[in-house]
Amino acid sequence: MLEGKFDESTLLKKIVDSIKDCVKLCNFNCTEHGITVQAVDDSRVLLVSLLVGQTAFTEYRCDRDITLGIDLESFSKIIKCGNNEDYLTLLAEDSPDSVMTIFEDRKKERISEYSLKLMNIDSEFLKIDDMDYDTVITMPSSEFAKIVRDLKNLSESLNIIVTKDSVKFSSEGESGSGSVILKPYNDLEKPEESVNVHLDNPVDLTFGLKYLSDIIKASSLSNQITIKLADKTPALFEFKLSVGGYLRFYLAPKFDDEE
Amino acid sequence: MGVKGLNQLLKDKSPNAIKEFQLKNLFGRKVAIDASMCLYQFLISVRQSDGQQLTNEEGETTSHLSGIFYRTIKLVENNIKPVYVFDGKPPVLKGGELEKRYLKREKAEKDREAIKDDGSVADILKFDKRLVKVSQDQNDEAKKLLELMGIPIVDAPCEAEAQCAELARAGKVYAAASEDMDTLCYDPPYMLRHLTFAEARKIPIDQIAHKEAMEGLDLTKAEFVDLCILLGCDYCETIKGVGPVTAYKLIKEHGNLENIIKFIKESPKSKFIVPENWPFNEARKLFMDPDITPGEKIKLTWKEPDVNGLIEFMVKQKGFSEERITNGADKLKKGLKGGVQGRLDGFFTVVKNDTPKRKADDKKEKSNKRKKK
Repeated sequence: MLEGKFDESTLLKKIVDSIKDCVKLCNFNCTEHGITVQAVDDSRVLLVSLLVGQTAFTEYRCDRDITLGIDLESFSKIIKCGNNEDYLTLLAEDSPDSVMTIFEDRKKERISEYSLKLMNIDSEFLKIDDMDYDTVITMPSSEFAKIVRDLKNLSESLNIIVTKDSVKFSSEGESGSGSVILKPYNDLEKPEESVNVHLDNPVDLTFGLKYLSDIIKASSLSNQITIKLADKTPALFEFKLSVGGYLRFYLAPKFDDEE
Repeated sequence: MGVKGLNQLLKDKSPNAIKEFQLKNLFGRKVAIDASMCLYQFLISVRQSDGQQLTNEEGETTSHLSGIFYRTIKLVENNIKPVYVFDGKPPVLKGGELEKRYLKREKAEKDREAIKDDGSVADILKFDKRLVKVSQDQNDEAKKLLELMGIPIVDAPCEAEAQCAELARAGKVYAAASEDMDTLCYDPPYMLRHLTFAEARKIPIDQIAHKEAMEGLDLTKAEFVDLCILLGCDYCETIKGVGPVTAYKLIKEHGNLENIIKFIKESPKSKFIVPENWPFNEARKLFMDPDITPGEKIKLTWKEPDVNGLIEFMVKQKGFSEERITNGADKLKKGLKGGVQGRLDGFFTVVKNDTPKRKADDKKEKSNKRKKK
C-alpha cells in the first residue's frame, strides 16, 4: 500500500496546478523511491516529467509499485479543500480503485478526508535518452516567467538565441516586436538571482509561447529554472524541488517549413 | 462504396491498429484528403435548417464551398496542413459501379417524383440526398476556392485515394484521409477516417495504422487485396453469400482468389456462386499497381490566402458574407505562417505500455503494470 505524508499541502497543490492545464489525465507511478509522473499533452508537443522524491514526504511508505490513474481536474478540486499549512496524506491500497487524500489541521483537531476514483489511463511511455545539450541556462524562474508573459502579448512564438556572452529572447508580431537580452550575472548575496550560461555551441531556437506559458505556471515550485537547449531538439525546462525531486518539461521547437 | 465489413473485421482482429482521437492530436501534421469523397459529404451534410442545400441568390448550390472553406480553416487552426487530392479519370472497371450509382440515382429521382405531391418533407429530403452527385463545375469551384485559400491541390491521374496513400508513403504527408476503406489496399502508413466530418457531430477521428492492421489480420498485401475484393470494392462484384467472416476464413485457408474459386467449384455442396467472367484479376491489378504520380515528383506548398480573390469569388459570386470570409482568411494567415510546430514523437522512442486495453468494468487490471524511471 501507499502512504505518503506531506508536511504542507501546498507542495502538491502547486505541482498539480503547474501541470493540470497541459495534461488532464495522468498516471502517478508510486514506487519505494517516490512518485513519478510522465505525461504528454494531446498535441504531443510538450512532455511533463515529475519526480517527487521520497525525501519530499515526512513519512513515506510504498511496499509494492502502484499506479494511480488520476484526473487532475478533479484532483485539483480536492486538493484545494485543504488549508496550505495542513498536513496532507495520500493513501492507497495495492491495486486500488481510489486514492484517499487526508488533510490534518496543525493545531485544531480537524481531519478531512476525500476519496478520488481512479481511472484506467492508457498511456504510451516515451523513453527519454540522455541528450547532449549545446547550452544550459540557469536563471530566476520569475524572470523567465515575466519574459514569456511580456512577449506573449506580441506574438505566438518566442525566439531564443544564445551566444558567447548573452541570451536573447525575442518575438515578432503583427503589431510590433520586442526582445529581452540577459547577460550572465552573479549575485553573491542572493544566489537565486544569478544568471548562469554554460555554452558549448551557440543556439537559435523558436518555441510556441502557448506552451511556454503553460510551463511558467510551475515557477512557484522553484526560484530557479534551468533551460537546456540544443539545435533542432526538444528543450528541457527544469524546476528543482528543494525537498527532493523535479518537474521537467520537454518542449519540441518550431521549425521553418522545409518545403 | 467502400469495402463492406472491413472496419469491423479490423476491430476484431487488430484492435491495436485503430485509434480514436480528436483533431488536436493531429497537431503539426500534414494530411492528404480525398477531395471527391469529402465534397460529396459536404453536399449531403451541409444543409440549412429546412434541409435544403445552401445556395446563393442565383440558386447555385454552395454547400460544398461552405464545407471546404470552414472545415479547412478548422484544420489549419489546429495546425494541420491539408492537401486535397482530386480524382482523375475513373478506371474502366469502375464503369460498372458508376453505372450502378447512376441507376440508383435515377431510381431515387423517379421515387421522388412519385411522392412529390403527397409525400412528407422528410421523405422527399431522403430521396433528395440520394440524388446528390458532385458535378464537374462543383469540383472546379472547390479547386478554385482552395487555390485562393493557399491550400495545395493534387490532381490524381486516376483514383484519389491511391494518390493520397502514395503521398503518405513518400513521406510528403503523415496520413491519407478518406472514408473509403479500400484506401488501405494502397498501403498508406496511416489512414484517417472522419477527418472532414463536422465538429458538431462529435465523431472522433479514427486512425488506422497500416502495419499494425496487417499484422493483426496476419495477411500479406496480396492476400489483403484479395480479401477486399471478396468483401466488395468499387471495381467488381463479389461472390454471393460470402460475408466478412467467411471471406477472411477463405483467404486464410486458400491464400488467394484463384484457389478459392477452385475450391468453390470443386465442392459441389458449396452454396457460393462465383460471378461469371469475374474480372477480379483486373481489380487486383488496380490495387496492386495503381495509376499514380510518384510522391517525390509532387511539391506541396501552403501559401498566404488571396484575400481579394476570395472576396471576389466567395462574396460577390457566391453570396457569402464578407465578414465571415475575411475572418476566415485571417485565421488561415495565422495558421499557415510562423513555422511548423515540431512534435516530440520524432525525438523520443515510444515504449508501448503493456497496459491491457481498458474494459468498462475491469478496473483492477492495471495494478500489475509498472513504469520504471
